[in-house]
Amino acid sequence: MSSLRKAFAELLLKNGKLDQDLIVLVGDISHGLLSEFRFAFPDRYFNIGICEPAMVGLAAGLRIAGFNPVIHTIAPFLIERSYEQIKLDFGYQGLGGNFVSVGGSFDYSKLGCSHHTYSDVSMMAQLPNSNVFVPGSSKEFTELFNQNYKNNEINYFRLTENPHDIEFSPGDISSGEAIVVKEGNDVTIAALGPMLKVALESTKKLAEQGIDAEVLYYHTFKPFDSQAIIKSVKKTNRIATLEELSIIGGLNSLALEACTGISIKSNLKFAVSNFIRSYGSYLDMLIEANLSTEQIVNTIMNDVKK
Amino acid sequence: MSDTLRMRIVEMIVESGEGHIPSSFSIVDIIDYLYSHVMNYNVENISSLSGDVFILSKGHGAAALYVVLEKIGAVSKDSLRQYGKPKGLLGGHPERFKNKQVMASTGSLGHGLPIAAGIALGGKLRSNSSRVYCLLGDGECQEGTVWEAANIAANQQLNNLIAIVDWNGSAKQLMPYEDLEARWSAFGWNVVRGYGHRYSDLDLAFSQYLNNSTSKPTVLILETVKGKGSKLVEGHGIWHHKIPDSEELKIIMKDLINE
Repeated sequence: MSSLRKAFAELLLKNGKLDQDLIVLVGDISHGLLSEFRFAFPDRYFNIGICEPAMVGLAAGLRIAGFNPVIHTIAPFLIERSYEQIKLDFGYQGLGGNFVSVGGSFDYSKLGCSHHTYSDVSMMAQLPNSNVFVPGSSKEFTELFNQNYKNNEINYFRLTENPHDIEFSPGDISSGEAIVVKEGNDVTIAALGPMLKVALESTKKLAEQGIDAEVLYYHTFKPFDSQAIIKSVKKTNRIATLEELSIIGGLNSLALEACTGISIKSNLKFAVSNFIRSYGSYLDMLIEANLSTEQIVNTIMNDVKK
Repeated sequence: MSDTLRMRIVEMIVESGEGHIPSSFSIVDIIDYLYSHVMNYNVENISSLSGDVFILSKGHGAAALYVVLEKIGAVSKDSLRQYGKPKGLLGGHPERFKNKQVMASTGSLGHGLPIAAGIALGGKLRSNSSRVYCLLGDGECQEGTVWEAANIAANQQLNNLIAIVDWNGSAKQLMPYEDLEARWSAFGWNVVRGYGHRYSDLDLAFSQYLNNSTSKPTVLILETVKGKGSKLVEGHGIWHHKIPDSEELKIIMKDLINE
């Protein structure tokens, strides 16, 4: 399974050859990875420096000048630090741009909360004219990027360091459409991006306990596929959402809102409810946030069997 | 100094009940001079990057921009009449989305210069010979993104970018500093000092800039008077965002006639 960052570099190189307007701005990150693009198109690659808000404003100016900017750096700095520039310089002005981040949630698991963000996805979804993607594999990212990067809207692509290892065929990946990965009757497990891995591990363990879960996979946060969750929950009457995002304003909020009026026996939220102050591996972070397979299986089991 | 434009500013602000008179008075001569004597543009397509472009980063001085755009025929008298009204296209800060004559939407300070730098960089990449002018306030120069953009512009050698600082002393009311020239210079900019109200002063300042042939971006730091033209509104007091009543309006108009 190739990394999403590597896929990003290959994608830029390929698209850069075909598209003279594609211009890349990075905030002192990925310059090794993107060196092929830099050598091929020195006039369309800028390592701007460590000044994310001005980099976003600069990108808006380049958009006005006719380029299609791809702006890339670490998620909390690209989105949370530069949010007013994204909101005003792109959103208010009605300009399109492609924001590509790494280090979302707690991917930098040993670096502390300065390098975490649990809110970037919902913040980007707040903007009119935005699309928000949380791909869990390089293939998904490539498909979603190609389907959207020229749409003159604000696109946010959040590249995980922890792909879910599931290979969908490209034809199954369509922006804004959730994928039913496994059908089941007892509970709907909706997973966002990389959390599909934990969702499928949990589903397997639940099956051993006689619980038949349906797994719904979201790679697109906005536009949100409401119909998919409605259809599934009408059958199972139980929602369990798995996301590396804040418990406020994330996948669970969208799912619950979509299911207004449907009889629901339980709504289980697996999400981040506080700063994760501990260090360790990605798995350690999942345990800290109550997002590990074991925690999820126990909670769902207790709920379904009570 | 243009009294006619100042009267027009007051008229439109009083008519709509919204606007910043002293800030507009501070910059109207500079904007008028730019569009009348410095910039190359096609008035039918004023935002085209084949010509020079202007960004008002201190967006609250919007009225000064609008009256100059009206003067050169880029916006209509009717547009100004609708300023700040429900069906109007022009508001209290310049907005690009609804007005093709406006190069960048501003309002929150510190946004104009990064955008201007991006347009200037794009122009260079397209081998375009046009220039990008960006007007900032001296108070605005307390925003971090101004200096982030100043760094970027110097690093990218954007000698087609010209920042103009309306040095009307607003910063002194807040976080005083006297070394603005040294700051821009330390950031790698070509610095020109001057005065921002009289035609002859502006001519002098701009001639120094136009003779510059370095790879550096240029900043013109122009001393101005906030509220210039009417003693009533001059300075940094309550008039910043105040709308005159009928008696005050008479005094302001009288001041402008006597100026």
